Amino acid sequence: MAVRPGRPGSLTFQARPSLLARRAGAVVSVAQQPDGAESLPPGQDEPDEAELASAESGGGPTALRILLGGQLRRLREAAGISPDDAGYEIRASRSKISRLEHGRVSFKERDVADLLTLYGVPDGDLRAHLLTLAQQANSRGWWARYDDVLPDWFATYVGLEQATSLIRTYELQFIPGLFQTEDYARAVTVLGHRSASPPEIDRRVSLRLKRQELLHVGAAPRVWAVIDESALRRPLGGAGVMRAQLQRLIELAELPRVTIQVMPFDRGGHSAAGGSFSILRFAAPDLPDVVYIEQLTGALYLDKADEVDHYREVMNSLSAEADTPAASARELKKLISAL
Amino acid sequence: MASEDAPGSGAAVPAGEAPAFDTSVAHVARVYNYWLGGKDNFAADRAAAEQAMAAFPGIALSARANRAFLRRAVTYLAGQAGIRQFLDIGTGIPSANNTHEVAQATVASSRIVYVDNDPVVLAHARALLTSSPEGATDYIDADLRNADQILAGAAATLDFSRPVGVMLMAILQHLSDDDDPYAVVGKLMAAVPAGSYLVLSHPAKDIHAAEMAEMANRLNQTMAEKVTFRGQAEVAKFFSGLELVEPGMTNVPEWRPETEEEATSLAALWGGVARKP
Repeated sequence: MAVRPGRPGSLTFQARPSLLARRAGAVVSVAQQPDGAESLPPGQDEPDEAELASAESGGGPTALRILLGGQLRRLREAAGISPDDAGYEIRASRSKISRLEHGRVSFKERDVADLLTLYGVPDGDLRAHLLTLAQQANSRGWWARYDDVLPDWFATYVGLEQATSLIRTYELQFIPGLFQTEDYARAVTVLGHRSASPPEIDRRVSLRLKRQELLHVGAAPRVWAVIDESALRRPLGGAGVMRAQLQRLIELAELPRVTIQVMPFDRGGHSAAGGSFSILRFAAPDLPDVVYIEQLTGALYLDKADEVDHYREVMNSLSAEADTPAASARELKKLISAL
Repeated sequence: MASEDAPGSGAAVPAGEAPAFDTSVAHVARVYNYWLGGKDNFAADRAAAEQAMAAFPGIALSARANRAFLRRAVTYLAGQAGIRQFLDIGTGIPSANNTHEVAQATVASSRIVYVDNDPVVLAHARALLTSSPEGATDYIDADLRNADQILAGAAATLDFSRPVGVMLMAILQHLSDDDDPYAVVGKLMAAVPAGSYLVLSHPAKDIHAAEMAEMANRLNQTMAEKVTFRGQAEVAKFFSGLELVEPGMTNVPEWRPETEEEATSLAALWGGVARKP
């Protein structure tokens, strides 16, 4: 991977948002490494707004920010108010309004109150509900304690992941992070951080394992993964590590809320030629699905209906083309004995 | 989009065979998902669902009332009627209170076979409609018109020498009279032993008649799967030879409602639960 390890806590800026991100109107930030291995320093797509960096580094219940941001956007549009005028009201730029509405920055309660007044939302349930959301969205999640190894772009993902009701993921290259054994996670992490110190590797692996607690909590989200055969055959860490990893997949697939489907080599030409991606769903009816895509220099978060529709359609095709969960369990056993 | 598939344009997709792969045309499972407040729908589905709602604003409530009827009926069968096996035809996209969840909440060892003819719906069912450890769920790719295939597939999971709850929830409207839906239901009920039950709901053409007629008209213009709504006598005929349990066939909110809200929900669906003597 053509990535350089960064100093924890340092801030680097990408020269400009990637074309894809701009076209998609997506949230983007820098620093990337394979399969969501948490890496590299936090980044910003618009260096002229460095003031926002501190606001973005908090982690926090990201899904609440996105929920609140989406509601603010709908209210603003319903009131026929431009982002510029909204920005003026809270002494901020048009792009800050965009960031707020995408849930990318934390909210000052006073700003939310001023915007609601501008949008003509009177005292009452809705106003109180949104102000409460603003408060809740500013609390910090457990992952904030990993900010030395957790760049903002991935903190956003971890925050979203913690709030989901359903995670659908398609993985081409690696076992999905939530399913990795400690040894496999270590092999992936070392691959992406060749010059990292052993304690730093430990921290990154520890974060990965901490994320996996999600699978075992009472209100666990459903995790529905389609894993390409190439990810299952690439023996990261050696045959022994891979055998244990495949065994782990078989065990996880038996959890009531985990589904694993194998996409065999012979089912070529399927529709995800672009690569791995995930779709996160939230229980709240108002929250849109969020598509998460990692790129070489960052991650995309898409939540517009037409974009999400496209990825959901691809994911549906993949799920229908891949082996059924029952056939996939048999295939995993075969792969183990072939190792 | 949907305009290319209006009736008379020679739509290439036969009724009931449009795969959910194709998201450019509204699909019944996804339109229903939209009415239920789900997120598994696409632009064409949302447009079709909204057009139907403009004709009959009660359709979203009606869809919810149908799900509530399913929950009450399965609770009754798993509880009072002692049914331990269910054949649910026309699974649709998983929602709240799916048949196996309701049945297994009452008796964990309940066995359920889900049947649908759409590969994407089936993929969802296999991933999301997973059994309790004590019970079993299976999924069959088959068309309602092919009862023999359904019965042969279900026999791997269900014991047809013991009573079965056959579920046909808001699905028979996708069979035209030419498909002979009565023969299909007759064949299914002939394959299960005495003591089995039929749970059936069907959109009514004689409740909110004008709105329902306009809605059917619009759905038939936007969806590949056509609908035939039926009246009280036509739906009652599906229960021929069976014994309807109290309160008989009703608009579904009136079938053993558990709350005032359920009882008074707007809906236009005939439904009932009947025992095979």
